[in-house]
Amino acid sequence: MAVYQVSLEIGQGEFVGIVGPNGSGKTTLFNVISGVYYPEEGHVYFEDKDITRLPPYSRAPLGIGRTFQIPRPFGSATVRENVAVGAMFGARGGKVGVEESMAIAEKTIDRVGLAEHREKAAGTLTPVEKKLMEIARALAMSPKLLLMDEAMAGMHPNDIDQMVEFIRKIAKEDHIAVVAMVEHIMRAVVGMAEKVIVLHQGAKLIDAPTKEALEDPRVIEVYLGRPKEVQAC
Amino acid sequence: MFLEQLGGNLIQGLVLGAIYGMATMGLSLIFGVLKVVNVGHGAFVMVGAFTTLWVFNALGLNPIFALPCAFGLGMALGLFFYYTTIRRLIKAPELASLLATFAMGVLLEEIVRLGFGSEFRGYNWVAGKIDLGITVLPLPKLYASIGSALIALGLYFWFKRTRAGNAMRSVVEDSEGARVCGVNVGWAYALSFALGIGLTLMSGVLLTMFIPVGINPYMGGPYTLKAFVIAVLGGLSSPYGAFFGGLVFGLIENGSYTLFALIPGVEPFALTRFLSFVMLLVILLIRPTGLLRAK
Amino acid sequence: MNKRTHKYLPLFPVLAAYIVMFIIGDNVAGMWQLVGMLAFYCALGQAFNIFLGMTGYVDFGYVAFLGVGTYGMALALTRIKNLEAFGLGIIPIGLLLALVMGILLSLAVGAVALRLRGAYFAIATIGVNEGFRYLIEGAKIWNGAEGMIFTAQMNEAFGRDTASAIMTYWSDIFVLVIAALAALVTLVYMRSKIGYALTALREDEDAAKVMGVNVTKYKIIAFITSAGFAAILGAVSWALKTPYVFPPEVFEIHYTVEAIIIVLLGGAGTLLGPVMGGLVYGISKYYLSIILPGFQLLIFAPVIIIIILLFPEGIVGMLKARLKGTSLESFVI
Repeated sequence: MAVYQVSLEIGQGEFVGIVGPNGSGKTTLFNVISGVYYPEEGHVYFEDKDITRLPPYSRAPLGIGRTFQIPRPFGSATVRENVAVGAMFGARGGKVGVEESMAIAEKTIDRVGLAEHREKAAGTLTPVEKKLMEIARALAMSPKLLLMDEAMAGMHPNDIDQMVEFIRKIAKEDHIAVVAMVEHIMRAVVGMAEKVIVLHQGAKLIDAPTKEALEDPRVIEVYLGRPKEVQAC
Repeated sequence: MFLEQLGGNLIQGLVLGAIYGMATMGLSLIFGVLKVVNVGHGAFVMVGAFTTLWVFNALGLNPIFALPCAFGLGMALGLFFYYTTIRRLIKAPELASLLATFAMGVLLEEIVRLGFGSEFRGYNWVAGKIDLGITVLPLPKLYASIGSALIALGLYFWFKRTRAGNAMRSVVEDSEGARVCGVNVGWAYALSFALGIGLTLMSGVLLTMFIPVGINPYMGGPYTLKAFVIAVLGGLSSPYGAFFGGLVFGLIENGSYTLFALIPGVEPFALTRFLSFVMLLVILLIRPTGLLRAK
Repeated sequence: MNKRTHKYLPLFPVLAAYIVMFIIGDNVAGMWQLVGMLAFYCALGQAFNIFLGMTGYVDFGYVAFLGVGTYGMALALTRIKNLEAFGLGIIPIGLLLALVMGILLSLAVGAVALRLRGAYFAIATIGVNEGFRYLIEGAKIWNGAEGMIFTAQMNEAFGRDTASAIMTYWSDIFVLVIAALAALVTLVYMRSKIGYALTALREDEDAAKVMGVNVTKYKIIAFITSAGFAAILGAVSWALKTPYVFPPEVFEIHYTVEAIIIVLLGGAGTLLGPVMGGLVYGISKYYLSIILPGFQLLIFAPVIIIIILLFPEGIVGMLKARLKGTSLESFVI
């Protein structure tokens, strides 16, 4: 059982960080929220609607967007086409047409700063560009809740600060975008999140405003205390 | 009288089922370790059948001697196809390996056809029979069945006891972990594929011991379908499940034949073939990962 | 040129190819048979491409739809009384019947198979053509394993001369029309939400789902369309050309192999690909049958493997890359 009895609540426009060591259940939690897994017990509510058994493609038009830790671009399509897909199927209940989606895509691509790469095949972008495109694609969905999975993984510390600033800005500008993050990297968490939920071995350890959570001795022990398990050969 | 006939047919079904099961083990092994579906499976069975023909006719030897020949040829073919094609396709989208193995099958069929001609052939191995009361079983069929079971058993021990076998099992569980522990994953893949093909060719030999006629370059088709039905029945990546799935399939196939023969105005053989196709769809609908829980 | 024409520009090379084929066949002595064969391969490729090319899923039982379509036309000709009164009207009836049967079969198969991912889907489709064939033979429906011959019916319905003209000339023209229609539908899909959904699910099915794409729905759309075209192709190119239907022949996996070769060779998922693939394969097969008869699959099977390993984008895919940035870019997709 990957995640057990975790309850959490994310309010409109809130900026929440979900952290925890490897195997603590963060990705599973994400998969349950975005619909990749259905929980055996428990419910997922979105804007007072029970979406527990809704397939992922039905959750997107409701306003739930997601980026992946390792970006998953539609490699042979252009950046513009990639981002347009987000708008076409994820925004406004999936009722946006092709041309309008392209227009939304253009705007969103400009916002993230990828305008010059618009017509490139998404598979040819650099890793950082792919991350930006991943975000643009999710933004094109006009999400109310944006699940960002380890978005900073593998990034240079300077880049992380910039990215943090950027995401804060976007979230504020779009008002309703709520960003929930999953991060090892404390720097990003401190920079972005108002409150932090710490998971440990599938259970919720603490749910508190950022500073308080990160200074809690239990959290420190969880991250620093345990030796990593070595795989037996 | 009917029950006797049904009973007899069921025994024959069980005997044949062991061979079917063994035939599918190679398929399951390849899928289990490499995650590659060998769509050209039937063509390899056919190559095994032709090996038997050659051993019997050209070398004048008992088909049992065809087994090591087929296995050797199978390993060689497996290594050849692995290093030229499969190796590059492990990380590729699934479609690529599906089409590639399909093309391999077609290639083998054409080579055999051009080499041996497309007529139907057979051979006649007279070895006596055994009378079981409700049915008579020619000894070759019995040998084939026992041979299948022995090979399955042999595979079991090989996986459990030998280093290579254990290495392969570890790769199935966790290829990254295996790599870290010093397993040469590339070589494990190559060996698994070669072994799978070797097993498949041997099953062609055993099959001809059961049905020594109708050997032609295109005979493989029906066996591909049967193998897939059995594989999904027993669990696509479990060779042992495949063996038991084969037994079940053999029973159903022969049992249904007897029952269909009772219905007037139908062609029982064709309907049995239709049934196996329906079985495939039904199992895939209910539980694609395998109906029988095998280890 | 306004925006609308611009959208349909890529159709021009396709139509041009078919028109040139027609002109050559019609005016050069002895070429019509070859053109007929090429037309069939192009149409087969266009139809198959709608599924294989656009979704990235391979249906190994594809020929079943061609077979079922052939039966559709055959049934129209053999089961309807008073054929003479219908005359040429039998043909649309047969086409409709073929289409309906093809769609029904695709729904039946798709209901199970399309819920499955990648390899499982392929496995599910492996037995479809054989399965259907053995259903017909086993349950002895539609004359079972004996098949049906309907030369007499064709003569009765159309009159000897017209029947002959249909068999040798008009059916091939129909095939070209089918090929063009399939190309049109492909382009319409490509330019619409359907096309984007299919591209997304082909590239990364899970990411597509998370973006809101109902992957099953779009797979079904592509599957049914592809099957429908195959059915009317069978009705026209098999039933109307050679007035008999014989189960082992119309459900032969050989045709699926050819469809795969054509789509891969030309460029899976492209519009022009099936045309190029059909022409290259057809012409190669034709000349091989003269100099090295019976060798074409032996040669093309490794060709498939080489394409998969080295040139997965096919002829048109490579052409597209070459033409990027030039004015011809919008003609070749």
